[in-house]
Amino acid sequence: MRKLHAALAILGVVAAALVLASCSSSGGKEGGTLRGTYASFPDALDPALARTVEAWTALYDTYLPLLTYAHADGQAGSEVVPALAESLPKISADGKTYTLTLHKGLKYSDGTPVKASDFAASVERMFKLNSGGSPFYTGIVGAEKFAETKTGGIPGIKTDDKTGQIVIQLTRPRGTFTTELALMYVAVLPADTPVKNLTADPPPATGPYEIVKSEPGRGWSYGRNPQWEKTNGKLISSVPGGHLDKIDIRVVSNPSTQVNEVERGSSDWMQTTIPSDLYNGVKEKYEGSQFRVEPTISNYFFWMNTTTTPFDDLKVRQAVNYALNGAAMERIYAGTLKANQQVLPPGMPGHKKFELYPYDMAKAKKLIAEANPSDRDITVWVDDEDPNNKAAAYYQGVLKKLGFNAKLKEIAAEDFFPLTGNLSTPDLDTGWLDWYEDYPHPNDFFQPLLSGESILPVENSNFAQIDDPKLNAKINRLGEEALGPKQEAEYAELDREYMEQAPWAPYGSRTVSTFVSDAVDLEDIVFNPTFGQDLASFQFK
Amino acid sequence: MAEEPQPAATGAPRVGAGPWSVALRRLRRNRFALASLGLFALIVLFSLAAPLWAVHVAHTGPNTTHTLAKVEVDGEKREVVDPTGKPTGPLWLGAGGRFFLGADGSLGRDEMVRLMYGGRASLFISLIAALITTAVGAVLGLLAGYFRGWPDTLISRTLDVIWAFPVLLLAIALGLVLAVGGLQIGPVTIPSGSIWIPIMIIGVVFVTYTARPVRGEVLSLREKEFVEAAVAQGAGPVRVMSGELLPNLWSTIIVFFTINVANSMLLESALSFLGVGVQPPDASWGTMIASGSNLIKSAPLLTILPGAMILLTVLSLNVLGDGLRDALDPKSKLRLEVHTGLVEADGTPV
Repeated sequence: MRKLHAALAILGVVAAALVLASCSSSGGKEGGTLRGTYASFPDALDPALARTVEAWTALYDTYLPLLTYAHADGQAGSEVVPALAESLPKISADGKTYTLTLHKGLKYSDGTPVKASDFAASVERMFKLNSGGSPFYTGIVGAEKFAETKTGGIPGIKTDDKTGQIVIQLTRPRGTFTTELALMYVAVLPADTPVKNLTADPPPATGPYEIVKSEPGRGWSYGRNPQWEKTNGKLISSVPGGHLDKIDIRVVSNPSTQVNEVERGSSDWMQTTIPSDLYNGVKEKYEGSQFRVEPTISNYFFWMNTTTTPFDDLKVRQAVNYALNGAAMERIYAGTLKANQQVLPPGMPGHKKFELYPYDMAKAKKLIAEANPSDRDITVWVDDEDPNNKAAAYYQGVLKKLGFNAKLKEIAAEDFFPLTGNLSTPDLDTGWLDWYEDYPHPNDFFQPLLSGESILPVENSNFAQIDDPKLNAKINRLGEEALGPKQEAEYAELDREYMEQAPWAPYGSRTVSTFVSDAVDLEDIVFNPTFGQDLASFQFK
Repeated sequence: MAEEPQPAATGAPRVGAGPWSVALRRLRRNRFALASLGLFALIVLFSLAAPLWAVHVAHTGPNTTHTLAKVEVDGEKREVVDPTGKPTGPLWLGAGGRFFLGADGSLGRDEMVRLMYGGRASLFISLIAALITTAVGAVLGLLAGYFRGWPDTLISRTLDVIWAFPVLLLAIALGLVLAVGGLQIGPVTIPSGSIWIPIMIIGVVFVTYTARPVRGEVLSLREKEFVEAAVAQGAGPVRVMSGELLPNLWSTIIVFFTINVANSMLLESALSFLGVGVQPPDASWGTMIASGSNLIKSAPLLTILPGAMILLTVLSLNVLGDGLRDALDPKSKLRLEVHTGLVEADGTPV
């Protein structure tokens, strides 16, 4: 009997060892410092103001909203899961009341407890900062008024610090609200967080990592959040604790240098996509071991300001669409872009392929001749990252061929959104933009980018400033409904209706890449379709 | 070889050539300076010929893209940019001069045309900026040195403030501020993106480099007898400055001008490389280095060529500046004339 017990014990130990081994499939080690590079500093390291994928990648494991997106690749990564909240929201029958409860015992990285009222304060702070994310939350009762007055609180958010309960009242049902509660804009911060851009001095974190140093323009560093292991990590099962002890990110503006550093092992990861001239060489040499192509749900396009000449004329906007050659764009992006000429990119529910404006320069010139715009001086805005700046230079050439006096304005990537999103900036005629899904719902490509409600004096995201009441109403109506086949068909129709108005000249969707040094385990790296690479999944071999 | 005028046996005053012709003669005997002058002239001609090359040889403009174009090389059609975005290398005369130095990247712009036009922009900016710097610096130095007292204090302390900033940092800060809204001073408006923005920036940050030495020289000159004589004869400040001091400053100003052109070119390249100088898609050698650096591995010529042009231009201007200083500066007379064989080492005429 004792022998049997001993044998069973040995079997148990072996089984446990096997289970542990399978958990760590690649046998990676815990700890270490990851050295990463970005091509430019993110637009903000303040969750309320972060708008770009670069910033969301940087903040994914640091600031947690009530809900978050599963830390998983592909379709699984589009699933909304609880984060600071105990569970997904309870939604009332009329679809207007969302009830959530905070985990009990959560703490910020500085040791102060997380309170339910912090959520209300964080939403108010976001409105006070005129965040680009504001339009997602104006459906909360009283939020629209608060966005204007910035005083008096938002009556539609009721919190109870004792029970941790948060009740959100909407003015009308909103089918996308659960996914919007998982966005970075409403990550929970202490109620006394200063109402200013805290990129240089990021607020305390709730996720597994905290930003311990930030030097805007140069880089930033993460350390483990001391409260994660003590409390938060035990309560939040949907967010992995991470393998690394420290992460140092530097800004290296030349992507070729970034590639070189990863190849030499002086850097472990580059956030930027490989530059076009090196892309195919790197892909051939390292695919599978250090390099991976990551699909994205994104749209690259040029917006045209529909409120001023010459783009207030539909014929001019349509002419631009006819004159833009998708094949040239694919070549400029060296195989990392697939031409697409509509609002919804492939992969997004509701995408139904159509091509309203096949390349036809003669037709474009004819339309311009018919429109005969009085003002032909145009400024084209673009950030300074390659190859977006090249795409804009090509676009400028196209506009010149159409008879415009087009001037290119290349702005540092970190200043690009604040400048072009500020309506008082002069000469906002047309410009480049990319948009990656905030959440896997077609509304994300319509409401913030094309709804009249999204035209804001600062942090504007409706760059074309198109404000069509009929289409606005359709966006609002569809936004209230849960997504199903009927809604998807209507979104496809909405896509066509907008492209008939041609506020943009879309040119494609992009793939990005993950490129790591030989020391990093590529296999376990998670690429979330919304947040990009999950730093908590990085591990040394 | 022309003979030096010999003193008359009677001991009458020697009738020599004027200072300018002496300087010119000295310069002509300095082979390094002459070679530099020749090289600089060639670079200027190369840049001035840009429109001719673009129209008659390359048949394309500096900003015209050829992403999907094909070019016939020795009877064979070849893509200017391959599907992976890699531009064609130099075709030399294979395509009748088109893409002589290849294409500049995935946009497929003609590198040779851009190099020539880039030279025009770089030279124009550096020459005009140097002109502004030298003129403003000379006037400020003249005023400060002649009047002394509060005008000197005002001018010198203002220049000290500019001097205290690192040149590149100050230029970048100005460039960023002016990049969006342009510059408006009274009725003068310079739109953002204008080539005059880097000219103004360089002109401002380098003024002090000319003004201070000129001021120092004026402080010394104003104590000389010829100035006292002019004042005793009733000459006012303007006449003293323009008629007595300025002619004695010309040699310094000319030498500083050449050095300022070289420094302006370096600063323009740095500013354009950093994105606050010449604005894309317009070419300058600095912007070409910046865009070429993204292709440094696959197409190194795109960085090397504009870099070499800057190197040659700055080198030629510096050597020319040295030659001019030797030719114009009386203090360097002995050194130069020994070198050129006009006098023995002890000063005795050959």
